[in-house]
Amino acid sequence: MSDTAFPRTDRRVLADDGDALRFCTTCAFSQACLAQGMDKRALMDLHMLVEHVGPLRAGDHVFREGDPFDAIAAVRAGTVKTYTIDREGREHVLGFHLPGEVIGLNAIDEAHYPCNAVALDTVMLCRFSFPKISVLAMQVPGLQQHLFRLLSRDIGNAALLAGDWTADERMAAFLVGLSRRLAARGFSADRFQLTMARTDIANYLRLAPETVSRVLKRFQDDGLLKVDRRELELIGRAQLETLAAAVLRH
Amino acid sequence: MFTNPAFDAALLRRYDRPGPRYTSYPTAPQFSAGFDEHALREAALASNGDPIPRRLSLYVHVPFCMSPCFYCGCNRIITRDKARAETYLTRLYREIDLTAALFDRDREVIQCHFGGGTPNFLSPAQLRELMDSLRRQFHFSDAPERDLSIELDPRFISPEDVAELAQVGFNRASLGVQDFDPLVQAAVNRIQSVAETRDVVDACRQHGFRSVNIDLIYGLPRQNLAGFARTLDTVIDMRPDRLAVYSYAHLPEMFKAQRQIDATDLPDAEVKLSLLQLAIEKLTAAGYVYIGMDHFALPDDDLARAQERGSLHRNFMGYTTHADSDLVGLGVSAISHIGDSFSQNPRDLPSWQIAIDEGRLPVCRGMRLDEDDCLRADLIQQLMCQGEVPVAALERRYAIDFDQYFADALQKLKPLEADGLVRRAPGRIRATTQGRLLLRNIAMCFDRYLDPPAGPIPTAPRFSRAI
Repeated sequence: MSDTAFPRTDRRVLADDGDALRFCTTCAFSQACLAQGMDKRALMDLHMLVEHVGPLRAGDHVFREGDPFDAIAAVRAGTVKTYTIDREGREHVLGFHLPGEVIGLNAIDEAHYPCNAVALDTVMLCRFSFPKISVLAMQVPGLQQHLFRLLSRDIGNAALLAGDWTADERMAAFLVGLSRRLAARGFSADRFQLTMARTDIANYLRLAPETVSRVLKRFQDDGLLKVDRRELELIGRAQLETLAAAVLRH
Repeated sequence: MFTNPAFDAALLRRYDRPGPRYTSYPTAPQFSAGFDEHALREAALASNGDPIPRRLSLYVHVPFCMSPCFYCGCNRIITRDKARAETYLTRLYREIDLTAALFDRDREVIQCHFGGGTPNFLSPAQLRELMDSLRRQFHFSDAPERDLSIELDPRFISPEDVAELAQVGFNRASLGVQDFDPLVQAAVNRIQSVAETRDVVDACRQHGFRSVNIDLIYGLPRQNLAGFARTLDTVIDMRPDRLAVYSYAHLPEMFKAQRQIDATDLPDAEVKLSLLQLAIEKLTAAGYVYIGMDHFALPDDDLARAQERGSLHRNFMGYTTHADSDLVGLGVSAISHIGDSFSQNPRDLPSWQIAIDEGRLPVCRGMRLDEDDCLRADLIQQLMCQGEVPVAALERRYAIDFDQYFADALQKLKPLEADGLVRRAPGRIRATTQGRLLLRNIAMCFDRYLDPPAGPIPTAPRFSRAI
């Protein structure tokens, strides 16, 4: 298992930048495309442009609500937060997107992005821009399937926090979820940085910011984890998994 | 735990060169005017964003002194006009309002220190009002380890005043003494009797102060071994919980007050070293443990215990047990350390006042630390507090190969290693008992901003010498 703590760039993860013809190793789509016998040249033939974007700085927007939807972006490095602003001007955090994950999927049936996406730290993106997603999906049937799979995972993440869970269960599920996602991308499962602000975590988990800190302090006192500024180390993993189990099952 | 330092005069002489005291890294000369109010607000906002935001340490600077001590290198204003305190406080309250608004309300204040100048230039009633204002705007912790400390000039405070300060909540005091030798006191313009000092120490004890610190200085004009020995005996008899024995740095180009000192009255390097040796021997024989960098404490004092636990920390106020806090400086010239930033208020009263009168945070310079700064700050902090560089822990925390990352520093460290100041052990580099008095020389090897290291000593040094 990797001991590289997110968000430090793991050389193994970013070593391969790809080129005109080859996908880079972090590419969220390469598997689906290659399985269909499509390489980058084939995508170009479909007028689909694959380009690297970034680095974006903390606070830079990837897209804003209402922008015309003409691209899906995959995170190569850093964290992207998606959120909406309601009529009262209140922010609602929809999710946090880590390396290898895709943003903009919930726009797939629309002509405009239904939310905002903002970089929380230094972010590198891979942008798949296209004239018409439907044309592309027809040409690459596996891609559509792959996109829908990613899409349902996206929705699943949001749904899991809507249930009637305790603050401890929500927090444990959040941390275990992050840990699994990072591990899947070659980062350490037990040591990572919380790149999002306390208020963002609170908003996402539907908790008060003080509660986020209180729960983490209790976890720390109980020896489940260690917090140093934004660095987190999971120690009592089994206990966290148990706490999170009910939430993550749904 | 540490054993006490070994005193090797020949070694100390060779390493007696100018260097920073590392109450911060990077040190204050690296701060720049580019760090403004906007940058400070951003740093505070980011610090609120930590999953468990740090607690706060407040530093309140009172710049006024009734009378000028000639050795002083602090930022202070000599006046007997008490009305100046009122106009200062009016601004200070505004600064407290502006600053407190930067921090989330659930961030508790775990430490609050009043320094100067002379904090007891303010009357007990004024100090109470000031503390009330702080308590209104910040959320003070109720934890038993919460420290409210104040520097006191024993010449200008009565035992009754001390009782009142205890009521206000102060529970730690630091008393300036420097030397009881009358000849030295005359030469530095600070006449202070043993009796008035003892009265204040006793009053602190009587009114439940958790610790009393006494400051001494060696290397002052007309100081000699016999006189300093008597001072040490007298002070040891008062049994302060903590002692600081500072080296006098004669830098008259930088500090105007020091121009009053006749340089021919200063003890030579040999005598100065003997004074230090005397202090170390007498204090350790009396049961004090050496904490590091001029500081001693009784073995059951919180500082000594924190060092044993590995939780000691060093900041602009010296050593502290509150490692996990953001430091918020209030008042003219005060320095803050919030998140990965340092910032400082103007050193002159008019600039500080104008900023506040215009409703601005009065920050005038500072810096944002990059990842390399943070790593080196962490390393130097561990060295100054625990006497070792935790190589393995740093490699893990910062994902570096230590030998590769610090190849230059390790090269600079080689002669120190050959001289027996440090020893490499698996996963760590330890200061030896010989190296413990030369921690700043060891730290200098890791200071990126001191390059090029081989250059000549500047004619008007900005740093005091090591000893």
